[in-house]
Amino acid sequence: MMMLKDTYSAEIEATLAKYPPENKRAAVMPLLHLAQRENGYVTKSALYEIADLCGVAVTEVASIMGFYTLYHDQPGGKYRLQVCTDLPCALRGANEFLEQLCANVGVKVGETTADGMITIEAVTCLAGCNKAPMFQVQTGEGLEYYENQTVESAVALINDLVKR
Amino acid sequence: MSKQVNLTIDNQAVTAAEGALIVDAAKKVGINIPVFCYHPKLEPAGMCRMCLVEIGRPVIDRATGAPVMEGGKPKLQFGPKLETSCTTPVSEGMVVITNSEKVKAARKDVVEFLLTSHPLDCPVCDKGGECPLQNLTLAHGPATSRFLFNEKNHNAKHVPLGDLIYLDRERCIQCGRCVRFQEKIAGDPVIGFYNRGRQMEIVTFSEPGFDSYFSGNTTDICPVGALTSADFRFGARPWEMKATASICTHCAVGCNLAFNVRREVGGKNGSPSKGGIVIKRALPRQNEAVNELWICDKGRFAYQYSESPTRLATPLVRKDGELTPASWDVALEYAAEGLLGESKPGQAKDLLVIGSGRLANEDLFTLRKLAEGAGGQAALYSQSGGGDLLAQVGAAPGTNLASLGKGSVILVVASDLHEEAPIWFLRVKQAAERGATLIVAAGRPTRLDRYAKYVIRYAYGEEAQIVAALGDSPRRAELVEAAKPAAAAKPAAAAKLVEAAKPAAAAKTVEAAKPAAAARLVEAAEAFGKAENALVFFGSDGLGQSGAQSVAQACAQLLAATRHVGRPNNGLIPVWGRANEQGGWELGLKAANLQTALQASTTAYIVAADPYGDDPSLPAPSFLVVQELFLTETARRADVVFPAQAFTERDGSFTSGERRVQRYYPATPALADCRPDYAISAELGQHLGLKLEGRSAAAIFAQIATEIPAYKGLTYRRLAETTNATAIGAAKDPRDAEERRCADLYYSGAGYENTQGLGVQLPLQTLSPALSKPAAAPAAQLSKTGLLAVPVTQLYDLGQTVLPSALLRQRIGEAWVGVNPADAAEAGIEAGAAPAAIVQVVLPGKPEWRAAARIDERTPRGVLLIPRSMGLPLNAPLPGASIRPVVRRDSQEAASQQPA
Repeated sequence: MMMLKDTYSAEIEATLAKYPPENKRAAVMPLLHLAQRENGYVTKSALYEIADLCGVAVTEVASIMGFYTLYHDQPGGKYRLQVCTDLPCALRGANEFLEQLCANVGVKVGETTADGMITIEAVTCLAGCNKAPMFQVQTGEGLEYYENQTVESAVALINDLVKR
Repeated sequence: MSKQVNLTIDNQAVTAAEGALIVDAAKKVGINIPVFCYHPKLEPAGMCRMCLVEIGRPVIDRATGAPVMEGGKPKLQFGPKLETSCTTPVSEGMVVITNSEKVKAARKDVVEFLLTSHPLDCPVCDKGGECPLQNLTLAHGPATSRFLFNEKNHNAKHVPLGDLIYLDRERCIQCGRCVRFQEKIAGDPVIGFYNRGRQMEIVTFSEPGFDSYFSGNTTDICPVGALTSADFRFGARPWEMKATASICTHCAVGCNLAFNVRREVGGKNGSPSKGGIVIKRALPRQNEAVNELWICDKGRFAYQYSESPTRLATPLVRKDGELTPASWDVALEYAAEGLLGESKPGQAKDLLVIGSGRLANEDLFTLRKLAEGAGGQAALYSQSGGGDLLAQVGAAPGTNLASLGKGSVILVVASDLHEEAPIWFLRVKQAAERGATLIVAAGRPTRLDRYAKYVIRYAYGEEAQIVAALGDSPRRAELVEAAKPAAAAKPAAAAKLVEAAKPAAAAKTVEAAKPAAAARLVEAAEAFGKAENALVFFGSDGLGQSGAQSVAQACAQLLAATRHVGRPNNGLIPVWGRANEQGGWELGLKAANLQTALQASTTAYIVAADPYGDDPSLPAPSFLVVQELFLTETARRADVVFPAQAFTERDGSFTSGERRVQRYYPATPALADCRPDYAISAELGQHLGLKLEGRSAAAIFAQIATEIPAYKGLTYRRLAETTNATAIGAAKDPRDAEERRCADLYYSGAGYENTQGLGVQLPLQTLSPALSKPAAAPAAQLSKTGLLAVPVTQLYDLGQTVLPSALLRQRIGEAWVGVNPADAAEAGIEAGAAPAAIVQVVLPGKPEWRAAARIDERTPRGVLLIPRSMGLPLNAPLPGASIRPVVRRDSQEAASQQPA
């Protein structure tokens, strides 16, 4: 089995070196990002490896990963389109937006398009309530914010993303 | 005493210690603020919002610092919102309102929220009837919900978190009690939250799932039916069951238990009870001085042996070479004739009587009387030693691990407490977290190391010397001298001790580590000497009878020399392997070398022990009487076998390692023709022509109280006394007096208030002058040839009392042997293979034994760790051992050999 250590030993060492040796647990989040960069999601074996590297229980690492919507425990598309559906966004029509977007793209919430490019997810608070409906796109390299969206603008963006 | 604070709760004046939480202060005056996530043993979290109250605080004039007065009263400032009383500490002049309309409305809303996706499946829920959510919903919740029924989240309802605990995701209200218990109290963060919001769930990623010795406690503190045990799941309704107070028999801690029983046809595990009373579950019974509110999973899930279908039900007598059922009269007569032989009544001179720590004080006392009366010898079946010292240096009355903190030192020698006595592990860990200085001296890493201030490593065989070095300053000076880099080359004995601290490291590292290890020892010794209170635990890690005896001796001398004797929270605590080994020593039985003792005897009467199962090479007496629950290897060799009652079927008392005498009560009727051990022994005694008390355990205890000085003045009634002063709120609704369960919200329905006895700690004898003099520590006698095989304890073993528990059986695992990587490499065994390589363990004079090799640094160089009761009888360290590879059980290799 491929280990993170084999591919990223320098990055892992650099990350661990940032924190005092007695607080290696601080490196859990950067290492989760590293693991996710490798496969687009955090594999179970990466969880065990990170737990081992940081000297914390694997369940704790999993809890941290599970808490944040930017970490994924399942493989997804190349681009993850994350629509905020929290209360203020919902009041501005986020739920209808999400529903119609999914219908247009032909997937259910949480699913990936057949070409493996786009995953649409519902997430909580992205701090853009006043400009809802809004979403962020997790590209693997970074995050892009898109606010005041309509289904048309979102579909156009998806077409762009697929061509990128 | 800490500073006291005055406040008002619902117009009642309350005085509480500074820092106390409002919810606890309210309990003192009988006000039960409803809670779900709060638990007095856990740090507050404020997660469920059920405990919201109105809080007013006096307005303070900033210029003068005095309270602002208004109409002759201090002016109060109430917060704009309600506050959580479980996270807010009391403060001077505070006014708390817990019953206003505002508070009531908030509670109602909180319950409505908690129930948004709750399945409301109380009729089929195990918790129904003892469920805080059910109770508090009835008391504070709304009758209907405004949430849409079709929007309920539906989740998995039978998620096994490992094989002991099941999770019902729909019932969980995300209070986090279980997660916090595992993290803070057990120190085992093997369950955690996953996702968030409505998707939040409890998960485990450990292998095996929910891998903790304390997992069962989470089912007790879960305030809903989300966590249930595989043992009790769908087993019974709480109101059908009665509770009986008992004591756990699996180790020397003496955890207080309650057995829940009910009448049913058949029984679990194919129990022989037909239409009789069966045990449905074991729960902790609160005893703040012993187990607080917790028990380990062995205590919770390994009681089944008492109901096993393989129990002996009738007396057996050897006839034509076969053990055949017989009546009690015939069996007793036959046994007496055989034991007497040619000698006159009352003079079975060569009789050896063996009893184990599984027996009650009353049984052991009767056995001793019988042996004495018949002119024979009585022995305690134990692999440990040193119990005779505890009457002088044992834990003094009033000792309570919960009261140890700053200023106290706890020394743990030769014990992996996590495996040998999990509840002591938990309490020692907590004392260390409160500020007690923990010194762990062991031959290998143990789980307690991470809580220790000083970790001292010794080579197996040198335990007593290390303990002596802690108390004896000249020896320490010698040690420091020897550890100086310049002097390190000298073959001083002390240098060897220090060397042991880093056995696996390269020689260079050893040189560098020596001064550090010596300095650590000196610092630890100073901390021990200066401590206000000091407790010492000694266990059986790598020790046999004589080894344990010298360690106990060294510990006793250390305690005497540093004057840590005879005061509460001071003394020596033995980590015995069985519940009542301490009782055996107190009542005058001593651990004997069975090889020589059996050699010297022509007849033997062995009770509740399986020496031939543990060591088939022991000499056989010409006539053997065995009294047992099961047809053990020893029973198979007997001429007469008496079936005894299990501890769940009778009453009696145990003496714990802390010398606490505690009573247990009959939970179920006796199986078939079985009789209590003391009664059988007394009758056998009568057949031998002796007059022994055997009518009741109480009558024998009365005799113990008159004849044994330590037990003087004790009565069953005194053992049954309780006080109201428990850590958990004492105030309770008088209507609950009948139904003790649920009397306190904090018990969460499961777990019991202690109403049947806290037990009494035995007083100490005066210290004999011999112990005050530091004696020379015995030199290590262990030969250096080959590998040193040492016995170690693991909690779940193949013991007679564990095997009948189907649940724990899966956790026992295969037989293993601990090997250091360097030794493995020398023997040509590959480390890191999965599954582990199987090796042949060869010990001089022992049958060859195969086990899975655990190859890692947890085993010191030159040592083989052999788990007790896992197939290889090893009662003491044994040099000259070796290992060799057998087969590599590599699944891939096996697969590649198959034709493609």
